[in-house]
Amino acid sequence: MKTPNKRLRIVALLALGAGLAGTLSACSASTTTSAASATTAAAGGTYTLWDPYPNRDATSTWAVAIDACATQLGITIKRNSGNTGDTVKDLTTAASNLPDIAMVDNPKVSTLADAGLLTTAAENGLDVSSISANILSAGVLNGETYGVPVGANTLGLYYNPTVLAAAGVDIATVKDFASLTAALQKVVASGKKGITFSAVGTEEGTFQFLPWFWGAGADLTKLDSDKSIAALQLWTDWVKNGLAPNSVLQNTQGTSWDEFKTGDYGFAENGSWFQGDADTNKWGVIQVPGVSGGTAPAPTGGEFITIPVQKDTSRYATSAKIVECLTNGSAGATALGYVAPTSAGAQAQAAATTAGANAFWVKAVSDAKPRTADNLGTNYGIISEQLYTAMQNALSGAMSASDALKAGQIAVDAKLKK
Amino acid sequence: MRKLRAGTTTLIGVVLTAVMLFPLYWMVNVSLTQPTMLRKDPPSLFPFDPTFDGYRAVLSQQGPYLLTSLIVGLGTVALTVALSAPAGYALAKLRPRGGGTVSFIFLIAQMIPTIIMAMGFYLIFNSWGILDTPWGLILADSTLAVPFGVLIFTAFMSGIPGELLAAAHVDGAGPWRTFRSIVMPISRNSVVTVALFTFLWAWSDFMYASTLDRGGSLQPITMGIYRYIGNNTQDWNAIMATAVVASIPATFLLVIAQRYVAAGVTAGALKD
Amino acid sequence: MRIAKTTNTVDGDDVGRVTGQAGPVTRTPRTRSARLPSHLVAWAFLAPVVLYLAVFYAYPLGRNVDLSFRDYTLRSFIDGTAKFSGFDNYVEVIHSPTFVPALTNTAVFTFVSIAFQFSIGLALAVFFFKKFPLAATLRALFLVPWLLPLLVSASVWAWMLNSESGIVNSGLEHLGMHQINWLTSPQWALVSVLIANIWIGIPFNLVLMYSGLQSIPGEVYEAASLDGASKWQVFWRITFPLLRPVSAITILLGLVYTLKVFDIIWIMTRGGPGNSSVTFAIWSYRLGFGGGSPDLSPAAAVANLLILVAFAFGLVYIRMQRRLVEL
Repeated sequence: MKTPNKRLRIVALLALGAGLAGTLSACSASTTTSAASATTAAAGGTYTLWDPYPNRDATSTWAVAIDACATQLGITIKRNSGNTGDTVKDLTTAASNLPDIAMVDNPKVSTLADAGLLTTAAENGLDVSSISANILSAGVLNGETYGVPVGANTLGLYYNPTVLAAAGVDIATVKDFASLTAALQKVVASGKKGITFSAVGTEEGTFQFLPWFWGAGADLTKLDSDKSIAALQLWTDWVKNGLAPNSVLQNTQGTSWDEFKTGDYGFAENGSWFQGDADTNKWGVIQVPGVSGGTAPAPTGGEFITIPVQKDTSRYATSAKIVECLTNGSAGATALGYVAPTSAGAQAQAAATTAGANAFWVKAVSDAKPRTADNLGTNYGIISEQLYTAMQNALSGAMSASDALKAGQIAVDAKLKK
Repeated sequence: MRKLRAGTTTLIGVVLTAVMLFPLYWMVNVSLTQPTMLRKDPPSLFPFDPTFDGYRAVLSQQGPYLLTSLIVGLGTVALTVALSAPAGYALAKLRPRGGGTVSFIFLIAQMIPTIIMAMGFYLIFNSWGILDTPWGLILADSTLAVPFGVLIFTAFMSGIPGELLAAAHVDGAGPWRTFRSIVMPISRNSVVTVALFTFLWAWSDFMYASTLDRGGSLQPITMGIYRYIGNNTQDWNAIMATAVVASIPATFLLVIAQRYVAAGVTAGALKD
Repeated sequence: MRIAKTTNTVDGDDVGRVTGQAGPVTRTPRTRSARLPSHLVAWAFLAPVVLYLAVFYAYPLGRNVDLSFRDYTLRSFIDGTAKFSGFDNYVEVIHSPTFVPALTNTAVFTFVSIAFQFSIGLALAVFFFKKFPLAATLRALFLVPWLLPLLVSASVWAWMLNSESGIVNSGLEHLGMHQINWLTSPQWALVSVLIANIWIGIPFNLVLMYSGLQSIPGEVYEAASLDGASKWQVFWRITFPLLRPVSAITILLGLVYTLKVFDIIWIMTRGGPGNSSVTFAIWSYRLGFGGGSPDLSPAAAVANLLILVAFAFGLVYIRMQRRLVEL
């Protein structure tokens, strides 16, 4: 007697759930189509765009910038977002069913291009002539261009003036590695904490280490050079001597910024995307110094807009127009808080003092260097993995800086030989 | 005297539960901590001057995700029990030739890396047209639980006395009726156990959701959390608040289910 | 009347089960195969699940095996033109400097996790089996950690174990002890992920062992208490032996699940620092999509080694079942 009754209840429950789901999906579907119906009126069709910004919802400036392009071109753009760490996995999985446009963290472009997932500018008809060369080069592999940067960000050295004043540090005296270390010692002596950064065992860790690595004059093709060892020794000593917290081994850049936000730290290495936050708190920023003065080249960050391979090649023309709409001028970049990829766009931003694209960051980006530069291409991923592994080994005390980097270079050689 | 003893036991139980749930308290604490205090050293045990920004964001945005998770969870439970209970019964009591191999394959099948499974499903679902739908997710999530279900049903159903089934047979019940009216009712315990874990796995799945329901209009709560993760930033208040908000209705479900089981066992003892 | 189940029928059942598996020759003819041949009925019950197995598992499993015996790059993965390379990937993996740490870590992680999860889970199951106010509610609350997305629970543990701002270190310092770099020192990283994983696994063991206790008929205890056995004796001589079948499947499933634990370690330490908390599951992902360049074939080879380990444990389980019957 009891069973059919219970089954009925379950069925009812499921039906109720499905009904509710139906209303909901109808609801959310209607919002997307209403935006679409306005645009499909022209000629259009629907184009899909994958980006790594799940936190930017339909009302964000970024979504608005995309919608504007859709309206302008008379098409519908269906956008969806995934985690930036999963881009290669997601696109590989979807190899039979690729989106029209995929936004990819710049060091991944060469990997995806090498896998045959992306089209070249020659194939899709993209005009890349106005894009700043130092940013564009991350998308160039064997002479072919596989995408354009939506914009660029880079790293700088933020400081907390209150902490520095209390410790008696004048920011103008921070000119090279030694004077920075001296400043950190003063801050720590005043009872505060020195510097926070991210040395996590991922690409993010390498990204954060590169200013110091390049600033010391080291080269990614030779991880175990003396200059490279000196750079890693700098970080290792900071952690060992308490000038940087042990948590840097775990910190993502977001976590590191949370540490800086406590107001306990004198310095933080972090990205242009936090400039808005720094403005509110009246924190300053300088470029990372070189080993003996000058400024260190920081790596360029930011995503490339790529056009993955389609069965229907007639779609490329419109996709290219979408890409051009997002990259010409500074609309896309400003929406994301990046420095525009064209020098005209960047100048416009600097004049308007967009946070993250103010005059300071425009200059910093023009000094910056893509990670896959020096013709590293797909080898960059292999080298980077060994570099952050070496960092983790040295900073955790498992190995000395030189042993860690030597082991790293051996692993790189073994892989590249294959 | 006896009452006092029961009271002490309850007290010990409460303390043990509190220790077990301390990380959850910490999650609540983080969800309420001002962003500037998140990484304070030493941390505050209690969120003085709490912020409710995370909760505001969650309550206004996460409703649809929660409902999808609920549908996917219940759907996965229904599918899993429907597939694995008969199989468990067959393996435990009807013992077909080659049955051992089937359970063995299930054991092995669970070891296939989820990422490989997800890539396989993508191809299958794409051709079936169920990518980005809750139905696809139910199918995929059930693969997390069906092997478990088969093995658990086999283990528990092999304890059902053979005399009982033989008696049913003598009464003229066919195999399907025996299964439905004898085996299933007395296996209620294992049904609930399997249902419970199936629900929990489906509820917390992320790999399948992020691969197979990337662009769907109905996404589960694990994807809802994504809304607070940028390419360089994480909004911890909102992430933790989502976890808190999401676990409240499900906790009620669990407590009710547990009470139901306890009641069911007593009722079962009086039945027949 | 509650369905009485004696130790005899359990044993008798298992004998039938094992002999059934041993081969058709030793199988005793059954009386209930009146209308349909019993193996047809059995396969009818199994048919849906076998179909399901074929559709959803065969392809991924086959693909994983294929991956490990060819030399796939991302490109050949997509266009399907990889060269057959025999056992090359396995040889490469076994000679890798990561192999030994991954092997030892996997073994330590699995066995320590299981030992603690199972014993704590069993103790709690026995504890909650006593009738006391709130028992059912508290037991349900033990499951709440499972409701959290692993991203959240692993992040919370990483938060609590953080070197600088973690509550655990703050507590240690209050007690006059030194800060421990839980997640960032080679000595402690594996311990940290073990603690978190044991925590996650307790509810699973608690629920299964509790169900096991529930399926032991009350009469057994009544008989024992008439004999004047102490509680301790009852547990070790009666309860524990009767729990063996459930314990065996719980431990087996625990082994399988622990072997493939991925999210907790990945979020907390990423297998680091260096290789100090790397396990096979982590290593496989690192090689596949978690590192700088996708090495799909070696990743699949590592995953297949794990499948082999699970295979071995499965054989041990079947052996154990057989021995249980002989006892």
